[in-house]
Amino acid sequence: MIFSEIYGAYYNIMADILKIAVKRPPSQDEINDIISARGFAETNLFFNADLYENRYKLMTGDGKTPIKNSPSMPLTFAQKRWLKAITLDPRFTLFDIDIRGIDDITPLFTPDMIDAFDKYSDGDPYEDEIYRAHFRTVLKALREETSLKISMISGKGKLRQHILTPVCLEYSEKDDKFRVTGQEENHILTVNINRILDVEIVPEAVYIGRAAYPDKHEVTLLLYDSRKALDRVLLHFAHFEKEAVRLDQKHYRITLKYFPDDETEILIRLLSFGPLIRVIEPQSLISELKKRIDRQHDLLS
Amino acid sequence: MAFSELIKNFGNIRDYMREFYVYGFKSREDFTSKSLRSYDDSRRRIESWLSDHMSFSFTPDGKNVFISVDSRTCGSNPLFKAWKSKSFTDGDIALHFILMDILNEDDELTLKEILEEADTYNGMFSEERVFDISTVRKKLGEYVDLGIVISRKEGRNTYYKRGKEYELPAGEVLRFFSEVSPCGVLGSFIEDKYGSTGNGIADKLSFKHHYITSTIDSEILYILFDAMSDKCQVEIRSVNHKRKDTFEDTIIPLKLKMSTQSGRQYIMCFSVKTERMIAYRVDYIEEAVKGNVISYYDEVRRKFDLMEEHIWGVSIANTMEHVMFEICYGRYEEYIVDRLLREKRCGTVTKVKEGLLRFEADVYDSTELVPWIRTFIGRITALEFSNKGLERRFRDDLKRMYDMYSEVSS
Repeated sequence: MIFSEIYGAYYNIMADILKIAVKRPPSQDEINDIISARGFAETNLFFNADLYENRYKLMTGDGKTPIKNSPSMPLTFAQKRWLKAITLDPRFTLFDIDIRGIDDITPLFTPDMIDAFDKYSDGDPYEDEIYRAHFRTVLKALREETSLKISMISGKGKLRQHILTPVCLEYSEKDDKFRVTGQEENHILTVNINRILDVEIVPEAVYIGRAAYPDKHEVTLLLYDSRKALDRVLLHFAHFEKEAVRLDQKHYRITLKYFPDDETEILIRLLSFGPLIRVIEPQSLISELKKRIDRQHDLLS
Repeated sequence: MAFSELIKNFGNIRDYMREFYVYGFKSREDFTSKSLRSYDDSRRRIESWLSDHMSFSFTPDGKNVFISVDSRTCGSNPLFKAWKSKSFTDGDIALHFILMDILNEDDELTLKEILEEADTYNGMFSEERVFDISTVRKKLGEYVDLGIVISRKEGRNTYYKRGKEYELPAGEVLRFFSEVSPCGVLGSFIEDKYGSTGNGIADKLSFKHHYITSTIDSEILYILFDAMSDKCQVEIRSVNHKRKDTFEDTIIPLKLKMSTQSGRQYIMCFSVKTERMIAYRVDYIEEAVKGNVISYYDEVRRKFDLMEEHIWGVSIANTMEHVMFEICYGRYEEYIVDRLLREKRCGTVTKVKEGLLRFEADVYDSTELVPWIRTFIGRITALEFSNKGLERRFRDDLKRMYDMYSEVSS
């Protein structure tokens, strides 16, 4: 169904090699490049050995193949069912495309079969024509590598103007929002698409000279494994770069790396675990936690 | 047997992937349920698939292997690679490319004609490979089931041709939905058709609050969706981690609940065995088999829909519980009002007076609200649960937190 060799890395590698071989013998460098791009860390070792031993009998030692046409494969039912399902997603219309060949296909799932139950309710308005037009302009700038002139309302309700060269389009499943991140002069700026009042393409491209993300901060916690805390904490923070070390049968030390602009969110998420975790580093985060906990103590005492 | 980076059975590797990705503190000796050889081979495979994301640490217990991924910066889900590691025979791969070369979208061929044509592909090789009729028939049958070959029966003959090929959607569309939709690995397989170039601006997409681990449950999900689509029941075998064993149930799957804050996925269903609505964690389900059509499916689904407005997370108990809390906010802290409104999943918010909000809800399981209420620590001015034991624990926990940080200087 899903776990099938026809979708596999080795079949994709063979197809790419044969795409060259139907025209001319591929060089060893070309074969190695295809394997590096498509395969796993050890594929070069295994696949080249298979080719050398002529195990598949699809290409001779001197790069000739009995295959006549450039290899391709139609979509499977499973792939078509998945494609049909995504066309029913309200976010699909943002991309302004039509998928052919799936008219009579049963979708793998429909919107009423799935529910992201804890996403925030003030997500982006995908049906709104103005929002959709802004989204498409941002996509166009990313595709054509041009810059954007943006008028927007800031988080504090102030009108702002920016000339932004977009680097990436970020989506948060929890917030259900798209943000465009890019460079404005020499700093990185992130703009929520729904905050844009007006946006237009600026013809001249601006050179991007630095990475989209700043250096990460670290937070270290001690965890006492009670009430399934270990499972909950590790799953909750699974999307961060992290390390977990077992100290004894019940205690663990966990280190998470996060971007500085997420500090308040991290603080709130740490609070949600109550006394099952204790932050031991950095001091700035501990101080902020303590401030809130002390205030809470006064409010309910 | 010599090591191979390809595997026959995905179920065997599923546990290791989760252990390495989510937990990552276990050493070789901790994997007691499998042999050390199995651990070594699986670890080497996962290292081969995910070499860029594997990390190691050395502790007194030994060497720990773990997958460390910041999903915000990695673009495409690295765990998809595991789905591209299915083993095959030399005959499988040869026959695949020969069949795809012989068949076209317009002309139908019989099995005999396909066999004759396949034989002509041997001429270049000193050692001939002969495909017998049953192997080719079986492979064609597999491909008909997969949908890449179309068959038509006429009299005693079956005719075969290739499925139609269409223009693929843009790479960024495939990438976006591969990352955010269930069974997204199917989109990744389509994106692979683009090769290393031509996938549009797919690499310019990134995902925040993105949990990648659920992809390893895609095959189970596919069966559940297929059953929901056809209004069928499903036989499942699931793990009970508390009792460290497995159990079986017959379920009527109704809805997939996905958490954007933990990555967990639950199938909300009616358990035929216990005759009640229940949520099963999808990552605990080891096996799922689609069963018969259920004539009363819509009725069960309607009942679930009515219950849903009182489910905060996924838990469904027999009785309803009441939860109330109040929070204060300052003159320039209107964002707290917005937070409460956008984060509440049911219940009501009322403004008691300027700077004071009250939240109230009737839910099946008030335990599920506790982590959320704690995020307002520093602002909670009143709290009342009808589940008094839970309220006591909440207050005790606040005291424990206060004590825990009291020796720390601010």
